[in-house]
Amino acid sequence: MVIAMYKKYVDVITMVDKHGEVKPLAIQWDEIKRYPIERVVDIRWAASPVGGSGLRFTCQIAGHERILFYERNRWFIESLQP
Amino acid sequence: MDNRRVVLHCDINHCYAQIEEMKVPELRKVPMAVGGHETTRHGIILAKNDLAKEYHIKTGDSLREAYAKCPQLVVIPPNYDEYLYYSEKVKDIYRKYTDRVESFGLDEAWIDVSASSKIYGSGEAIAREIKKKVYEQLGLTISVGVSFNKVFAKLGSDMIKPDGLVVIDEENYQRLVWPLPVEELIYIGRATKRKLNEFGIKTIGDLAVFRADLIESRMGKVGLMIHEFANGIDDKSVAFTGYQDEAKSVGNGITTIRDMHSLKDVELVFRVLAESVASRLREMGVQGQVVTIGLRDNELHGLSRQRKLAEPTCLADEILAMAMQLTREHYSFILPLRSISLTMSDLQKPSAVEQLSFFTDHGKIKQRVLDETVDAIRSRYGFTKIKRCSMLLDDELTNFNPKADHIIFPVSFL
Repeated sequence: MVIAMYKKYVDVITMVDKHGEVKPLAIQWDEIKRYPIERVVDIRWAASPVGGSGLRFTCQIAGHERILFYERNRWFIESLQP
Repeated sequence: MDNRRVVLHCDINHCYAQIEEMKVPELRKVPMAVGGHETTRHGIILAKNDLAKEYHIKTGDSLREAYAKCPQLVVIPPNYDEYLYYSEKVKDIYRKYTDRVESFGLDEAWIDVSASSKIYGSGEAIAREIKKKVYEQLGLTISVGVSFNKVFAKLGSDMIKPDGLVVIDEENYQRLVWPLPVEELIYIGRATKRKLNEFGIKTIGDLAVFRADLIESRMGKVGLMIHEFANGIDDKSVAFTGYQDEAKSVGNGITTIRDMHSLKDVELVFRVLAESVASRLREMGVQGQVVTIGLRDNELHGLSRQRKLAEPTCLADEILAMAMQLTREHYSFILPLRSISLTMSDLQKPSAVEQLSFFTDHGKIKQRVLDETVDAIRSRYGFTKIKRCSMLLDDELTNFNPKADHIIFPVSFL
Protein backbone atom coordinates (compact mmCIF):
# COMPACT_ATOMS: atom_id res chain seq x y z
CA MET A 1 0.00 0.00 0.00
CA VAL A 2 1.26 3.43 -0.90
CA ILE A 3 0.65 6.03 1.76
CA ALA A 4 0.29 9.59 0.50
CA MET A 5 2.85 11.82 2.10
CA TYR A 6 3.12 15.56 2.09
CA LYS A 7 5.89 18.08 2.41
CA LYS A 8 5.17 20.26 5.39
CA TYR A 9 7.44 23.10 6.44
CA VAL A 10 7.72 23.48 10.20
CA ASP A 11 9.27 25.77 12.79
CA VAL A 12 12.24 24.11 14.45
CA ILE A 13 14.23 25.08 17.52
CA THR A 14 17.89 24.30 16.90
CA MET A 15 21.23 24.43 18.58
CA VAL A 16 24.39 25.44 16.74
CA ASP A 17 27.38 23.96 18.50
CA LYS A 18 30.82 25.52 18.67
CA HIS A 19 31.92 23.63 15.55
CA GLY A 20 29.05 25.11 13.56
CA GLU A 21 27.01 21.89 13.48
CA VAL A 22 23.26 22.41 13.54
CA LYS A 23 21.16 20.10 15.68
CA PRO A 24 17.36 20.19 15.87
CA LEU A 25 16.02 20.21 19.45
CA ALA A 26 12.26 20.49 19.04
CA ILE A 27 9.50 21.09 16.52
CA GLN A 28 7.36 24.10 17.48
CA TRP A 29 4.00 23.00 16.09
CA ASP A 30 1.91 26.01 17.02
CA GLU A 31 1.93 28.59 19.78
CA ILE A 32 1.37 25.98 22.45
CA LYS A 33 2.47 22.59 21.18
CA ARG A 34 6.13 21.80 21.10
CA TYR A 35 7.51 18.33 20.33
CA PRO A 36 10.98 17.71 21.75
CA ILE A 37 13.32 15.61 19.62
CA GLU A 38 14.44 12.81 21.86
CA ARG A 39 17.22 11.43 19.73
CA VAL A 40 18.81 11.94 16.31
CA VAL A 41 19.41 8.46 14.91
CA ASP A 42 20.97 9.29 11.57
CA ILE A 43 22.13 12.32 9.57
CA ARG A 44 22.85 12.23 5.84
CA TRP A 45 22.31 14.04 2.57
CA ALA A 46 19.21 12.69 0.88
CA ALA A 47 16.36 13.43 -1.45
CA SER A 48 12.86 13.15 -0.06
CA PRO A 49 10.01 11.30 -1.77
CA VAL A 50 7.77 14.28 -0.99
CA GLY A 51 10.10 16.58 -2.94
CA GLY A 52 13.20 18.54 -2.12
CA SER A 53 16.55 17.42 -0.86
CA GLY A 54 18.89 18.40 1.91
CA LEU A 55 20.33 17.16 5.15
CA ARG A 56 18.07 14.39 6.39
CA PHE A 57 17.74 13.91 10.16
CA THR A 58 16.15 10.67 11.25
CA CYS A 59 14.76 11.59 14.66
CA GLN A 60 12.88 10.01 17.49
CA ILE A 61 9.92 12.14 18.54
CA ALA A 62 7.46 10.96 21.19
CA GLY A 63 8.80 7.44 20.76
CA HIS A 64 8.24 7.44 16.98
CA GLU A 65 10.75 7.69 14.20
CA ARG A 66 10.24 10.80 12.11
CA ILE A 67 12.16 12.26 9.19
CA LEU A 68 13.15 15.89 9.37
CA PHE A 69 14.82 17.66 6.44
CA TYR A 70 17.04 20.73 6.59
CA GLU A 71 16.56 22.18 3.11
CA ARG A 72 18.94 25.08 2.46
CA ASN A 73 17.64 27.36 5.24
CA ARG A 74 14.42 25.85 6.48
CA TRP A 75 13.00 22.60 7.79
CA PHE A 76 10.28 20.29 6.57
CA ILE A 77 8.80 16.99 7.67
CA GLU A 78 7.35 14.17 5.63
CA SER A 79 3.82 14.47 6.92
CA LEU A 80 0.76 12.23 6.67
CA GLN A 81 -1.46 15.31 6.57
CA PRO A 82 -1.11 18.19 4.15
CA MET B 1 52.25 2.11 -15.76
CA ASP B 2 48.94 2.50 -17.49
CA ASN B 3 48.78 6.08 -18.67
CA ARG B 4 45.46 6.01 -20.45
CA ARG B 5 43.18 8.76 -19.36
CA VAL B 6 39.72 8.20 -17.94
CA VAL B 7 37.50 11.22 -18.43
CA LEU B 8 33.85 11.48 -17.42
CA HIS B 9 31.45 14.08 -18.72
CA CYS B 10 28.39 14.55 -16.54
CA ASP B 11 25.29 16.43 -17.57
CA ILE B 12 22.36 17.16 -15.26
CA ASN B 13 19.39 16.25 -17.47
CA HIS B 14 17.33 19.32 -18.43
CA CYS B 15 18.76 20.93 -15.35
CA TYR B 16 16.38 23.77 -14.48
CA ALA B 17 13.25 21.72 -15.11
CA GLN B 18 14.57 18.74 -13.19
CA ILE B 19 15.45 20.82 -10.14
CA GLU B 20 11.91 22.23 -10.13
CA GLU B 21 10.54 18.68 -10.37
CA MET B 22 12.76 17.51 -7.57
CA LYS B 23 11.40 20.26 -5.32
CA VAL B 24 7.78 19.66 -6.31
CA PRO B 25 7.33 16.07 -7.56
CA GLU B 26 3.77 16.76 -8.79
CA LEU B 27 5.32 18.71 -11.67
CA ARG B 28 6.52 15.39 -13.12
CA LYS B 29 2.92 14.54 -13.95
CA VAL B 30 2.21 17.60 -16.11
CA PRO B 31 3.92 19.21 -19.08
CA MET B 32 6.12 21.85 -17.48
CA ALA B 33 8.74 24.31 -18.59
CA VAL B 34 10.94 26.88 -16.94
CA GLY B 35 10.74 30.20 -18.74
CA GLY B 36 10.93 33.93 -18.31
CA HIS B 37 8.10 36.32 -17.54
CA GLU B 38 6.07 37.31 -20.57
CA THR B 39 5.56 40.81 -19.16
CA THR B 40 9.24 41.60 -19.00
CA ARG B 41 9.57 39.97 -22.42
CA HIS B 42 12.29 37.55 -21.55
CA GLY B 43 9.60 35.21 -22.66
CA ILE B 44 11.46 32.15 -23.79
CA ILE B 45 11.56 28.53 -22.68
CA LEU B 46 14.80 27.79 -20.85
CA ALA B 47 14.15 24.14 -20.01
CA LYS B 48 11.30 21.66 -20.21
CA ASN B 49 10.39 18.30 -18.78
CA ASP B 50 9.80 15.08 -20.72
CA LEU B 51 6.03 15.56 -20.95
CA ALA B 52 6.51 19.03 -22.43
CA LYS B 53 8.99 17.55 -24.89
CA GLU B 54 6.24 15.28 -26.21
CA TYR B 55 4.46 18.45 -27.34
CA HIS B 56 7.61 19.38 -29.31
CA ILE B 57 8.36 22.29 -27.04
CA LYS B 58 11.95 23.35 -27.56
CA THR B 59 14.41 25.33 -25.50
CA GLY B 60 14.39 28.82 -26.96
CA ASP B 61 10.72 28.79 -28.00
CA SER B 62 8.85 31.93 -27.07
CA LEU B 63 6.18 31.46 -24.42
CA ARG B 64 3.55 32.23 -27.05
CA GLU B 65 4.83 29.44 -29.33
CA ALA B 66 4.96 27.06 -26.39
CA TYR B 67 1.38 27.76 -25.30
CA ALA B 68 0.25 27.30 -28.91
CA LYS B 69 1.77 23.83 -28.92
CA CYS B 70 0.48 22.94 -25.46
CA PRO B 71 -2.19 25.21 -23.90
CA GLN B 72 -2.07 23.42 -20.52
CA LEU B 73 1.70 23.90 -20.18
CA VAL B 74 2.77 24.87 -16.67
CA VAL B 75 5.41 27.59 -16.88
CA ILE B 76 7.61 28.35 -13.89
CA PRO B 77 9.75 31.48 -13.71
CA PRO B 78 13.43 30.65 -13.24
CA ASN B 79 15.03 30.57 -9.78
CA TYR B 80 18.68 30.94 -10.73
CA ASP B 81 19.76 31.04 -7.13
CA GLU B 82 18.32 27.56 -6.56
CA TYR B 83 19.85 26.17 -9.75
CA LEU B 84 23.26 27.46 -8.75
CA TYR B 85 22.89 25.97 -5.28
CA TYR B 86 21.82 22.49 -6.36
CA SER B 87 24.21 22.23 -9.31
CA GLU B 88 27.06 23.14 -6.95
CA LYS B 89 25.89 20.39 -4.58
CA VAL B 90 26.06 17.94 -7.49
CA LYS B 91 29.59 19.11 -8.29
CA ASP B 92 30.53 18.65 -4.63
CA ILE B 93 29.79 14.96 -5.17
CA TYR B 94 32.05 14.88 -8.26
CA ARG B 95 34.80 16.56 -6.25
CA LYS B 96 34.88 13.66 -3.80
CA TYR B 97 36.50 11.55 -6.51
CA THR B 98 39.13 13.88 -7.93
CA ASP B 99 40.53 17.37 -7.80
CA ARG B 100 40.04 17.68 -11.55
CA VAL B 101 36.47 18.84 -12.04
CA GLU B 102 36.02 21.37 -14.82
CA SER B 103 32.63 23.03 -15.07
CA PHE B 104 31.13 23.64 -18.47
CA GLY B 105 28.22 25.87 -17.69
CA LEU B 106 25.92 25.29 -14.79
CA ASP B 107 24.84 21.75 -15.52
CA GLU B 108 27.83 20.08 -17.15
CA ALA B 109 31.30 19.13 -15.98
CA TRP B 110 34.27 17.06 -17.01
CA ILE B 111 35.83 14.87 -14.37
CA ASP B 112 39.26 13.31 -14.83
CA VAL B 113 39.42 10.14 -12.73
CA SER B 114 42.55 8.62 -14.31
CA ALA B 115 44.39 8.76 -11.02
CA SER B 116 41.42 7.63 -8.92
CA SER B 117 40.83 4.26 -10.54
CA LYS B 118 43.08 2.40 -8.11
CA ILE B 119 40.85 3.52 -5.25
CA TYR B 120 37.41 3.66 -6.82
CA GLY B 121 37.61 1.21 -9.72
CA SER B 122 37.09 1.65 -13.45
CA GLY B 123 35.63 4.77 -15.05
CA GLU B 124 32.37 2.95 -15.54
CA ALA B 125 32.22 1.91 -11.89
CA ILE B 126 32.90 5.47 -10.77
CA ALA B 127 30.26 6.78 -13.15
CA ARG B 128 27.71 4.35 -11.69
CA GLU B 129 28.59 5.35 -8.17
CA ILE B 130 28.35 9.07 -8.93
CA LYS B 131 24.97 8.61 -10.62
CA LYS B 132 23.70 6.67 -7.63
CA LYS B 133 24.90 9.25 -5.13
CA VAL B 134 23.50 12.20 -7.07
CA TYR B 135 20.14 10.45 -7.24
CA GLU B 136 20.04 9.36 -3.61
CA GLN B 137 21.35 12.58 -2.11
CA LEU B 138 19.84 15.20 -4.35
CA GLY B 139 17.06 13.39 -6.20
CA LEU B 140 18.48 14.31 -9.61
CA THR B 141 19.41 12.17 -12.61
CA ILE B 142 22.50 12.80 -14.70
CA SER B 143 23.79 11.42 -17.97
CA VAL B 144 27.41 10.36 -17.98
CA GLY B 145 29.83 9.69 -20.80
CA VAL B 146 33.01 7.77 -20.01
CA SER B 147 35.91 7.91 -22.43
CA PHE B 148 39.62 8.45 -22.94
CA ASN B 149 39.28 12.12 -23.85
CA LYS B 150 37.01 15.10 -23.20
CA VAL B 151 35.45 15.25 -26.66
CA PHE B 152 34.21 11.65 -26.68
CA ALA B 153 33.16 11.84 -23.03
CA LYS B 154 30.86 14.71 -23.92
CA LEU B 155 29.46 12.81 -26.91
CA GLY B 156 28.81 9.87 -24.60
CA SER B 157 26.82 11.93 -22.14
CA ASP B 158 24.66 13.26 -25.00
CA MET B 159 23.77 9.80 -26.32
CA ILE B 160 21.26 8.62 -23.74
CA LYS B 161 19.02 11.12 -22.00
CA PRO B 162 17.84 11.08 -19.32
CA ASP B 163 19.84 9.01 -16.88
CA GLY B 164 22.29 7.58 -19.41
CA LEU B 165 25.68 5.95 -19.06
CA VAL B 166 27.76 5.35 -22.17
CA VAL B 167 31.34 4.11 -22.31
CA ILE B 168 33.29 5.02 -25.42
CA ASP B 169 36.69 3.35 -25.58
CA GLU B 170 39.38 2.72 -28.18
CA GLU B 171 37.62 -0.47 -29.27
CA ASN B 172 34.12 0.82 -29.82
CA TYR B 173 34.44 4.48 -30.77
CA GLN B 174 34.30 3.82 -34.52
CA ARG B 175 31.07 1.91 -34.06
CA LEU B 176 29.45 4.35 -31.59
CA VAL B 177 30.74 7.75 -32.64
CA TRP B 178 31.36 7.61 -36.36
CA PRO B 179 27.73 7.16 -37.52
CA LEU B 180 26.66 10.33 -35.63
CA PRO B 181 25.95 13.50 -37.61
CA VAL B 182 29.04 15.67 -37.71
CA GLU B 183 27.39 18.61 -35.90
CA GLU B 184 27.17 16.51 -32.73
CA LEU B 185 30.90 17.00 -32.31
CA ILE B 186 31.77 19.81 -29.96
CA TYR B 187 32.91 22.97 -31.70
CA ILE B 188 30.96 22.31 -34.87
CA GLY B 189 28.23 24.91 -35.22
CA ARG B 190 26.01 25.82 -38.10
CA ALA B 191 28.68 27.52 -40.21
CA THR B 192 31.26 24.75 -39.81
CA LYS B 193 28.61 22.15 -40.51
CA ARG B 194 27.73 23.88 -43.78
CA LYS B 195 31.38 23.94 -44.87
CA LEU B 196 31.83 20.28 -44.02
CA ASN B 197 28.63 19.33 -45.82
CA GLU B 198 30.02 21.00 -48.96
CA PHE B 199 32.86 18.48 -48.78
CA GLY B 200 30.25 15.76 -48.58
CA ILE B 201 31.05 15.20 -44.92
CA LYS B 202 27.83 14.26 -43.14
CA THR B 203 28.93 12.07 -40.25
CA ILE B 204 31.77 12.16 -37.76
CA GLY B 205 33.12 9.05 -39.49
CA ASP B 206 33.20 10.91 -42.84
CA LEU B 207 35.24 13.63 -41.17
CA ALA B 208 37.61 11.17 -39.48
CA VAL B 209 38.63 9.45 -42.72
CA PHE B 210 38.75 12.64 -44.78
CA ARG B 211 42.18 13.90 -45.86
CA ALA B 212 43.52 16.09 -43.11
CA ASP B 213 45.51 18.33 -45.45
CA LEU B 214 42.41 19.18 -47.52
CA ILE B 215 40.45 20.13 -44.43
CA GLU B 216 43.32 22.21 -43.16
CA SER B 217 43.73 24.06 -46.44
CA ARG B 218 40.07 24.95 -46.43
CA MET B 219 39.42 25.58 -42.75
CA GLY B 220 42.81 26.21 -41.20
CA LYS B 221 43.83 25.16 -37.73
CA VAL B 222 40.27 24.64 -36.55
CA GLY B 223 39.74 22.17 -39.39
CA LEU B 224 42.76 20.18 -38.33
CA MET B 225 41.56 20.21 -34.73
CA ILE B 226 38.09 18.87 -35.44
CA HIS B 227 39.64 16.24 -37.73
CA GLU B 228 41.69 15.08 -34.77
CA PHE B 229 38.62 15.18 -32.51
CA ALA B 230 36.79 12.86 -34.89
CA ASN B 231 39.70 10.43 -34.64
CA GLY B 232 39.69 10.50 -30.86
CA ILE B 233 42.83 12.62 -30.62
CA ASP B 234 42.30 15.23 -27.94
CA ASP B 235 44.84 15.66 -25.21
CA LYS B 236 43.34 18.71 -23.54
CA SER B 237 43.44 18.15 -19.83
CA VAL B 238 40.59 18.59 -17.41
CA ALA B 239 41.26 21.75 -15.41
CA PHE B 240 41.71 21.62 -11.67
CA THR B 241 38.78 22.52 -9.45
CA GLY B 242 38.52 26.22 -8.90
CA TYR B 243 40.71 27.03 -11.86
CA GLN B 244 39.23 29.90 -13.76
CA ASP B 245 40.33 31.25 -17.05
CA GLU B 246 41.15 34.89 -16.97
CA ALA B 247 38.21 36.75 -18.46
CA LYS B 248 38.79 37.91 -21.99
CA SER B 249 35.86 40.26 -22.08
CA VAL B 250 33.24 41.85 -19.86
CA GLY B 251 29.78 42.51 -21.20
CA ASN B 252 26.15 43.05 -20.35
CA GLY B 253 23.01 43.03 -22.42
CA ILE B 254 19.31 43.57 -21.89
CA THR B 255 15.98 43.03 -23.58
CA THR B 256 14.07 46.12 -22.55
CA ILE B 257 10.45 46.15 -21.44
CA ARG B 258 9.46 48.29 -24.38
CA ASP B 259 11.19 48.75 -27.73
CA MET B 260 13.76 51.49 -28.14
CA HIS B 261 12.77 53.91 -30.86
CA SER B 262 15.48 56.55 -30.85
CA LEU B 263 19.09 57.29 -30.06
CA LYS B 264 17.83 58.92 -26.90
CA ASP B 265 16.24 55.64 -25.72
CA VAL B 266 19.35 53.69 -26.62
CA GLU B 267 21.56 56.13 -24.78
CA LEU B 268 19.56 55.70 -21.57
CA VAL B 269 19.97 51.94 -21.69
CA PHE B 270 23.60 52.01 -22.80
CA ARG B 271 24.28 54.33 -19.87
CA VAL B 272 23.13 51.65 -17.42
CA LEU B 273 25.07 48.95 -19.25
CA ALA B 274 28.21 51.09 -19.49
CA GLU B 275 28.12 51.79 -15.76
CA SER B 276 27.78 48.10 -15.02
CA VAL B 277 30.57 47.06 -17.38
CA ALA B 278 32.86 49.83 -16.12
CA SER B 279 32.15 48.86 -12.54
CA ARG B 280 32.97 45.23 -13.24
CA LEU B 281 36.20 46.22 -14.99
CA ARG B 282 37.25 48.22 -11.94
CA GLU B 283 36.35 45.32 -9.69
CA MET B 284 38.67 43.10 -11.72
CA GLY B 285 41.35 45.78 -11.74
CA VAL B 286 41.57 45.90 -15.52
CA GLN B 287 40.83 48.25 -18.38
CA GLY B 288 39.41 47.42 -21.78
CA GLN B 289 40.27 48.93 -25.10
CA VAL B 290 37.78 47.46 -27.58
CA VAL B 291 34.10 48.42 -27.37
CA THR B 292 31.60 46.06 -28.99
CA ILE B 293 27.91 46.81 -29.30
CA GLY B 294 25.22 44.33 -30.22
CA LEU B 295 21.87 45.56 -31.53
CA ARG B 296 18.81 43.45 -32.20
CA ASP B 297 15.63 44.86 -33.74
CA ASN B 298 12.10 43.78 -32.97
CA GLU B 299 12.18 41.25 -35.80
CA LEU B 300 15.22 39.73 -34.14
CA HIS B 301 17.80 40.64 -36.78
CA GLY B 302 21.05 41.28 -35.03
CA LEU B 303 24.16 43.23 -35.82
CA SER B 304 27.38 43.71 -33.95
CA ARG B 305 30.05 46.38 -34.38
CA GLN B 306 33.30 47.04 -32.57
CA ARG B 307 36.02 49.65 -32.43
CA LYS B 308 39.25 50.17 -30.57
CA LEU B 309 39.60 53.15 -28.28
CA ALA B 310 42.69 55.35 -28.37
CA GLU B 311 43.52 54.28 -24.82
CA PRO B 312 42.23 51.52 -22.55
CA THR B 313 39.61 52.62 -20.08
CA CYS B 314 37.37 51.58 -17.23
CA LEU B 315 35.26 54.73 -17.27
CA ALA B 316 31.57 54.54 -18.05
CA ASP B 317 31.53 57.87 -19.89
CA GLU B 318 34.21 56.85 -22.38
CA ILE B 319 32.63 53.48 -23.01
CA LEU B 320 29.23 55.09 -23.49
CA ALA B 321 30.58 57.69 -25.91
CA MET B 322 32.04 55.02 -28.17
CA ALA B 323 28.93 52.84 -27.93
CA MET B 324 26.79 55.80 -29.02
CA GLN B 325 29.17 56.69 -31.83
CA LEU B 326 28.94 53.15 -33.18
CA THR B 327 25.15 53.16 -32.86
CA ARG B 328 24.87 56.47 -34.73
CA GLU B 329 27.07 55.21 -37.53
CA HIS B 330 25.48 51.84 -37.97
CA TYR B 331 21.81 52.03 -37.09
CA SER B 332 19.04 54.09 -38.60
CA PHE B 333 15.98 52.99 -36.58
CA ILE B 334 13.96 51.74 -39.54
CA LEU B 335 12.87 49.11 -37.03
CA PRO B 336 12.87 49.78 -33.30
CA LEU B 337 15.41 47.92 -31.18
CA ARG B 338 14.37 45.17 -28.80
CA SER B 339 17.62 44.31 -27.12
CA ILE B 340 21.12 45.75 -26.96
CA SER B 341 24.39 44.65 -25.46
CA LEU B 342 27.72 46.24 -24.65
CA THR B 343 31.02 44.40 -24.25
CA MET B 344 34.56 45.50 -23.46
CA SER B 345 37.46 43.34 -24.60
CA ASP B 346 41.22 43.53 -25.12
CA LEU B 347 41.48 43.69 -21.36
CA GLN B 348 44.76 44.79 -19.84
CA LYS B 349 46.16 45.53 -16.43
CA PRO B 350 46.82 49.25 -16.17
CA SER B 351 50.44 50.15 -15.62
CA ALA B 352 51.28 51.69 -12.29
CA VAL B 353 51.55 55.12 -13.82
CA GLU B 354 48.78 56.11 -16.13
CA GLN B 355 49.95 57.62 -19.38
CA LEU B 356 47.90 60.74 -19.89
CA SER B 357 47.48 61.87 -23.41
CA PHE B 358 48.90 65.30 -24.05
CA PHE B 359 46.09 66.59 -26.17
CA THR B 360 43.00 65.08 -24.66
CA ASP B 361 40.88 65.86 -21.68
CA HIS B 362 42.52 65.57 -18.32
CA GLY B 363 39.32 65.27 -16.36
CA LYS B 364 39.89 61.52 -16.40
CA ILE B 365 41.19 61.24 -12.88
CA LYS B 366 38.30 63.25 -11.52
CA GLN B 367 35.87 61.07 -13.46
CA ARG B 368 37.46 57.93 -12.12
CA VAL B 369 37.18 59.11 -8.52
CA LEU B 370 33.54 59.95 -9.16
CA ASP B 371 32.81 56.51 -10.65
CA GLU B 372 34.55 54.76 -7.77
CA THR B 373 32.57 56.78 -5.26
CA VAL B 374 29.32 55.74 -6.94
CA ASP B 375 30.53 52.09 -6.78
CA ALA B 376 31.23 52.43 -3.08
CA ILE B 377 27.84 53.97 -2.30
CA ARG B 378 26.10 51.24 -4.30
CA SER B 379 27.96 48.40 -2.68
CA ARG B 380 27.12 49.78 0.75
CA TYR B 381 23.56 50.99 0.39
CA GLY B 382 22.22 49.23 -2.71
CA PHE B 383 22.23 49.69 -6.44
CA THR B 384 19.26 52.04 -6.66
CA LYS B 385 20.38 54.44 -3.96
CA ILE B 386 22.34 56.63 -6.31
CA LYS B 387 21.66 57.05 -9.98
CA ARG B 388 21.98 59.42 -12.86
CA CYS B 389 19.24 61.95 -13.32
CA SER B 390 18.86 60.57 -16.85
CA MET B 391 17.67 57.28 -15.35
CA LEU B 392 14.57 59.07 -14.15
CA LEU B 393 13.61 60.09 -17.69
CA ASP B 394 12.30 56.64 -18.49
CA ASP B 395 11.99 54.28 -15.60
CA GLU B 396 10.68 51.47 -17.80
CA LEU B 397 13.81 51.33 -19.90
CA THR B 398 16.40 51.78 -17.20
CA ASN B 399 14.99 50.04 -14.18
CA PHE B 400 17.35 47.06 -14.08
CA ASN B 401 20.62 46.14 -12.47
CA PRO B 402 22.73 44.30 -15.03
CA LYS B 403 25.56 43.65 -12.62
CA ALA B 404 23.49 41.66 -10.17
CA ASP B 405 20.69 40.34 -12.37
CA HIS B 406 22.78 38.37 -14.81
CA ILE B 407 24.98 35.95 -13.01
CA ILE B 408 24.89 33.08 -15.44
CA PHE B 409 27.11 33.46 -18.44
CA PRO B 410 27.46 31.21 -21.42
CA VAL B 411 30.82 29.53 -21.67
CA SER B 412 32.91 28.53 -24.60
CA PHE B 413 35.04 25.49 -25.14
CA LEU B 414 38.87 25.85 -25.45
